Amino acid sequence: MILDLHNHSIVSDDGRAKVENYCQWIRKREIPLDGFVLTEHRQFDDVSDYRALEDEYGILILKASEVETDYGHVLVFGVNDDMRAAYDFTRIDLPLALVLRETERCGGVAVPCHPGRPRVGLFDHFDAKGVVAGVGVIETLNGGSRGEEDARALALAQAHGYRGIGGSDAHIVSQIARCVTRFPREIRDGEGLVESLRAGDFEAVSWK
Amino acid sequence: MSLGYDDVDFGAELPPTAPDVTLATVRRFTAAAGMTFGRFNAHDEARKEGLPGAIVPGIMSQGILVALIHRWAPRAVVRKIDTVFRAPISVDSHPVARGVVTDKNDETRTIEIDLTIQNEAKETRVVGTATVELP
Amino acid sequence: MEVDVEKLKRDWTGFTFDTAEFEVSASDLVSFASACGETAKRYTDPADPDFRAVPNYTSRYVGRRILPDSFPRLGSGYGFDAGKCVTPIAPIRPGDKVVAKSQIHDIYTKTGRSGTMLFIVHRMEFSNQRGEPVSVVDWRMVQQERGAR
Repeated sequence: MILDLHNHSIVSDDGRAKVENYCQWIRKREIPLDGFVLTEHRQFDDVSDYRALEDEYGILILKASEVETDYGHVLVFGVNDDMRAAYDFTRIDLPLALVLRETERCGGVAVPCHPGRPRVGLFDHFDAKGVVAGVGVIETLNGGSRGEEDARALALAQAHGYRGIGGSDAHIVSQIARCVTRFPREIRDGEGLVESLRAGDFEAVSWK
Repeated sequence: MSLGYDDVDFGAELPPTAPDVTLATVRRFTAAAGMTFGRFNAHDEARKEGLPGAIVPGIMSQGILVALIHRWAPRAVVRKIDTVFRAPISVDSHPVARGVVTDKNDETRTIEIDLTIQNEAKETRVVGTATVELP
Repeated sequence: MEVDVEKLKRDWTGFTFDTAEFEVSASDLVSFASACGETAKRYTDPADPDFRAVPNYTSRYVGRRILPDSFPRLGSGYGFDAGKCVTPIAPIRPGDKVVAKSQIHDIYTKTGRSGTMLFIVHRMEFSNQRGEPVSVVDWRMVQQERGAR
């Protein structure tokens, strides 16, 4: 099963893609993608209902979040009410240790994304401020990475024994499915995704 | 014959262009746009600002993307263009501008186009979308 | 300095702080368009019966002030242009006198490759000499601001 774990729709302030257009694009280009996750910036979108699109296009559409911490941006999977009460998704300076601990406690998984990017990636912050315990998975392949950013992410993963996921970080329709994650098991919902991420049973794949 | 709404499919790619961003052309643009800043008009001035060299003004990048649309569909009417200047395009470099149709609205006979400008390293430096009406 | 973004928004968004007038010349229209690689004659040939400004032409205009006179100084003062959204409404032709009214449309923060950034969305609404609206430009200006919350 192949999922793109990092995408933004018009719900994000800088997203310009409608979710239906992502689905149309995947079908039109015959992309072998089984689903994608919407990781809207600094919020969890509990309003939008994509079940009709899932049925029409036969594609899994899951929702998560991208929050901002003192160690860079972090994807949060398995968002629930407890987690949203535990920390303020709208802040841009959340302590990473808090996000890791509370996400875990509330049954989710926190995944630092684009860790090789300056300022918003884990790599620079680990260098400057030291390692934070509790990271198990990072995004080693990001569709928006430039230059050596993915290589830095991979080096970080290898140095610390982190597992790596792939996500496109798409903000416009045509950039979905540039980086994806392959799971050997079937995933049907957000809980299944969290289970698989916790099990560490997956690999990052680049389709750039 | 000019391209019309019914000729365009979802997913259609606009022919890419290789825009002229030589110093001479950028200077011509900045003169017309009233942009006198050294960072656009002189490599050494840009370096004094910590840049690797002169950079293409964001609004010129936007104009390059508008031109891309008109080359593809000369009768197209741009109803909205929204561009994000993620990173600078270097003057005297060789970028490529691309567009692809990502939505169609039969009621308004408008299409949405994803737009990008990439540098030689294939990094997307400018990204955008346009709403375009076709006859 | 820590910046209270919500207060900034309350205090500074939604009112016109600057009005400026610009005259449109055929030569500038041609130079602007052709330097961008424009090939459609209605944008590059003054003899074309439908000659007009390219759709994003108003993005070139800056008012007399970028921010209101007493708007607080934020961060290091270093800023950059993060993006522009242009909505053309009606043709702009040579000889037109366009009036631009500026307001701060939005203020928000996020973090990016450049660090903690304060975004100020500067909106210019343009009308022609007949008072007809011709264009709206939203200009996303970024100021690096470490203390934004």
